[in-house]
Amino acid sequence: MAQPCVDLALTDEILERYPRAEPSLIQVLQDVQRAYNYLPCDALVKVAETLEVPLAKVFSVSTFYKAFALDPQGETIVKVCTGTACHIRGADMLVEELERQLGVGPDQTTEDFKFTVKTVNCVGACAMAPVVIVGEKYWGSAKPSRVEKYLAEGGRDEN
Amino acid sequence: MRIESRADFAAAQTAARERNAARRQQVLVCCGTGCLASGSKKVAEAFSAEIAARGLDAEVGTFVKTTGCHGFCERGPLVVLQPLGILYTRVKPGQVPRIVEETLIGGEVVPHMLYKNPVNGERVEQYGDVPFYAHQVRVAMRNIGRIDPTDISDALAEGAYEGLARALFDLTPEQVLEEVAVSGQRGRGGAGFNTARKWRSCRDAEGERRFVLCNGDEGDPGAFKDRSIMEGDPHSVLEGMVIGAYAVGAHEGTIYVRDEYPLAVVNLSIAIDQARQHGLLGVNIMGTGFDFDVSISRGGGAFVCGESSALMRSLEGKTGEPRAKYVHSTAKGLFDAPTVLNNVETWAGIGAILAHGGAWFAAMGTDRSKGTKAFSLVGKVKNTGLVELPMGTTLRHIIYDIGGGVAGDRPFKAVQTGGPSGGCIPEQLLDLPVDFEKLTEAGSMMGSGGMIVMDDRTCMVDVARYFLAFLTEESCGKCVPCREGLTQMLQIFDDLCQGRGRPGDLERIERLARAMQLGSLCELGKSAPNPVLSTLRYFRSEYEAHINDRACPAGICRELTAYEISPDVCDGCHVCFTSCPVDAITGTVKELHTIHHDACISCGACFDVCPTGAIRTFPKVELEKEAV
Amino acid sequence: MATLSVDGRRVEVADDATILDAVRAAGVELPTLCHFDGLEPWGGCRLCVVDMWQQGWDEDWFKMVTACNHPVADGMRVLTHSERVLETRAVVLDLLLARCPHTPLIRRLAAEHGIDETSFVPNEEPTDCILCGLCTRVCDHIGVSAISSVGRGWGREIAPPFDEPPPDCIGCLACAEVCPTDCIPYETSNVTRTIWGRTFEMLRDPVTGEGMITRAQAEHFATSSGVPASYFERSDAVKRRQLAGAFAALQAATVEEGGS
Repeated sequence: MAQPCVDLALTDEILERYPRAEPSLIQVLQDVQRAYNYLPCDALVKVAETLEVPLAKVFSVSTFYKAFALDPQGETIVKVCTGTACHIRGADMLVEELERQLGVGPDQTTEDFKFTVKTVNCVGACAMAPVVIVGEKYWGSAKPSRVEKYLAEGGRDEN
Repeated sequence: MRIESRADFAAAQTAARERNAARRQQVLVCCGTGCLASGSKKVAEAFSAEIAARGLDAEVGTFVKTTGCHGFCERGPLVVLQPLGILYTRVKPGQVPRIVEETLIGGEVVPHMLYKNPVNGERVEQYGDVPFYAHQVRVAMRNIGRIDPTDISDALAEGAYEGLARALFDLTPEQVLEEVAVSGQRGRGGAGFNTARKWRSCRDAEGERRFVLCNGDEGDPGAFKDRSIMEGDPHSVLEGMVIGAYAVGAHEGTIYVRDEYPLAVVNLSIAIDQARQHGLLGVNIMGTGFDFDVSISRGGGAFVCGESSALMRSLEGKTGEPRAKYVHSTAKGLFDAPTVLNNVETWAGIGAILAHGGAWFAAMGTDRSKGTKAFSLVGKVKNTGLVELPMGTTLRHIIYDIGGGVAGDRPFKAVQTGGPSGGCIPEQLLDLPVDFEKLTEAGSMMGSGGMIVMDDRTCMVDVARYFLAFLTEESCGKCVPCREGLTQMLQIFDDLCQGRGRPGDLERIERLARAMQLGSLCELGKSAPNPVLSTLRYFRSEYEAHINDRACPAGICRELTAYEISPDVCDGCHVCFTSCPVDAITGTVKELHTIHHDACISCGACFDVCPTGAIRTFPKVELEKEAV
Repeated sequence: MATLSVDGRRVEVADDATILDAVRAAGVELPTLCHFDGLEPWGGCRLCVVDMWQQGWDEDWFKMVTACNHPVADGMRVLTHSERVLETRAVVLDLLLARCPHTPLIRRLAAEHGIDETSFVPNEEPTDCILCGLCTRVCDHIGVSAISSVGRGWGREIAPPFDEPPPDCIGCLACAEVCPTDCIPYETSNVTRTIWGRTFEMLRDPVTGEGMITRAQAEHFATSSGVPASYFERSDAVKRRQLAGAFAALQAATVEEGGS
């Protein structure tokens, strides 16, 4: 698979933080995901070697959990919560509006790699339904008419 | 600083209380995830700045404290002023100078910032008088909103670790177990298994090494009580776990937190560090020689990992596939060692049970469901948020007296409880006292306490479909009835909601539901048919309309619903025009507007904004009949 | 030992036996798909479900459990063909038939349970894989773990990492041989073997030229068991002849020495 070259020093650093055994796998993968914004296959090979877990099992875990992406993601991840409270308060309309504005649907990334749209499970802010999270910023009582504003203000959370 | 005896503990508590007493005024700003999303951090900063500028901190000992989630998220940012006891809602940074001037210094309230009761329109001054809070009995959530979760002294001042002190200094592990047994506490994660029984099985199991685990994987959409507890009072969870570990003889524990709760991870980590520094966690706890330490493990994003055996596999670094529990995890659990896994809220209640006694807890609640329960009341209800109430409180009381009734005063249709494993409860059962047994009898389930209020603009077939779609995504795929059954069940429901229902569908649904309930490996698959079966039980006519008439009575299913504007009611205000995302409405201001059916996607946006109720829904099939 | 009844028949089995062991001891046939003697039971296909009653329960309170991994208990009563067991089995096969409409084994089993055509929506991309997990489980058992299950839910599939020829595979064919629907393709000759997109060199008997096992597999055995790789370079036939030759020589020597 064609993937950009990655600096594996980051992976080595992460592996230093945990015991070198299978139970550390998911924590390691989460740090790798955060460091590279996805799980590069070279990094996964390194993780398998170092933790002494068969590569097939590392791959199995990487594809089982929603927190992980195997392809490079956009700079900013836009998450629309599809929990029950958000669903009945119109989460679908937010997803549709995002598609209209960005041209991509859930689990897709814009061509310029600026945004990836995702639908996510309940984020636990149900009293503020419906919720959109742009980067690290939560927008409660979200409306399709304000989607442009959410995207423009970007994802840096001053909170 | 390190507590190494009972006297040390008493001294630490006293010191903490004296420190707080010196703060003659406190401004408590909620900084749970909900209020943070509304900008409460800036509000807290504004208070700090203004108070410093006025010298109030030095003179009067006014102190700004950021707390965890009060639970009243929709009215946030929430600010409580103590000792006045005044609650302000929807506070903006720009309003802070006025609050400081008029209330903190002047002692007068700012009326328009007070909570307004939606039922009678009155302003309520006192935090304790707001119906949302007045009716609550907070045990698991006792300190949330009162303490700064990142300051252990605050927690100590409010009684944290008193239960642990009693357990370690006054009781044997067996006596601790007895106390929990007297309380009658049942697990608060959904299954409702008796806590003491679970602990006893682990205690009696063979094996030197054992574990206590905390299930913080709160996956039920609509439930956020565990988030609130982990963010707002992490010490209650730690205290419970140390007590539990002492009772079963464990020295290691892990708190498994959903990947989607980053603030909970942060606050728990801080609490763990502080507890260790104070000798309340780790080696030689409170000088008693008992060792116990915890770590935090983040979930990978899988609802199925809320299932106990899947959670343990996840902790072992594997995929979250459950296993048949013919051998219980209390005998062979994590790494095949005896393990106790309890929910966040369950652990949070333990400290209070030890501090006040099991009988105190058992005096609340019903015959078979003792104590209190946290509920997240959300959806189409006026006061959305978290409440903790004695078991046995009726649904009507929760939704109307505490919740303030249905949002927009629309007709009540159903309340969904128990998440994807639960069901919908209709109006005729609103006087049901909420407890484990009663909810199950009604075809639903307590689950983790999510309560989603639904109005007439909810299609019950769509609700069932929604839960099926959720579970189809979350199924681990190991067993045939769940993996294949959910996919096929969802297909039937997609067909129903898009007008492709056929005779015999209900029988097919019921046959598949039975096989899933009996044949699935774990509770995800076994309980997946519940939303389907409960909506069929109480709203069968809606299903029949979808199949026989290709109509959605609630006007929600898009492929079955068309919209039109009534000429007699429309006043040409033009609001619908702006709301339409596909420009399907034409009309000029002050003139009758028209919806063009070929462009209309039936999203309902216009319906929601029309101020005169001029828009109505009708079955799309009528358009086809007209065309013919 | 534990004594229990299966469909009314009394059987006695070891304390640590499973219900499946007891059912077989009673001479009753139970269909299974994900079970393989020698591998830990998995409980995924749900075909072997039975109704079970244990001492201490109400007279007519039965629990449906999988026979393959449920332990026996003294006094247990097992029903292998109750109405709801048969119905559940039928739905399981109905669902599998939807997933694998052309697979002979599934069609046969479904037909045996009264289902000739699925009542559900057939898979748009029919497959022979029933996701029983036997291939990955045997690969784990051997200590190789070259393939695994990828993804979750309905889209789950068995594949090598990154869908590329698996670096850890030793070409032993255990996965292909254990697969109940024969859906893992491979090619093998005296010279090479190809499976999962990887081609392996065969170790050949120097005399007969017969391909024995892959070099990779021999090396795996050598590392994990201490048996030298060269052991595998002789074909069984040649080894038998050698042994026979050695035995004949021994016999001849003994006859010479000891008389008739």
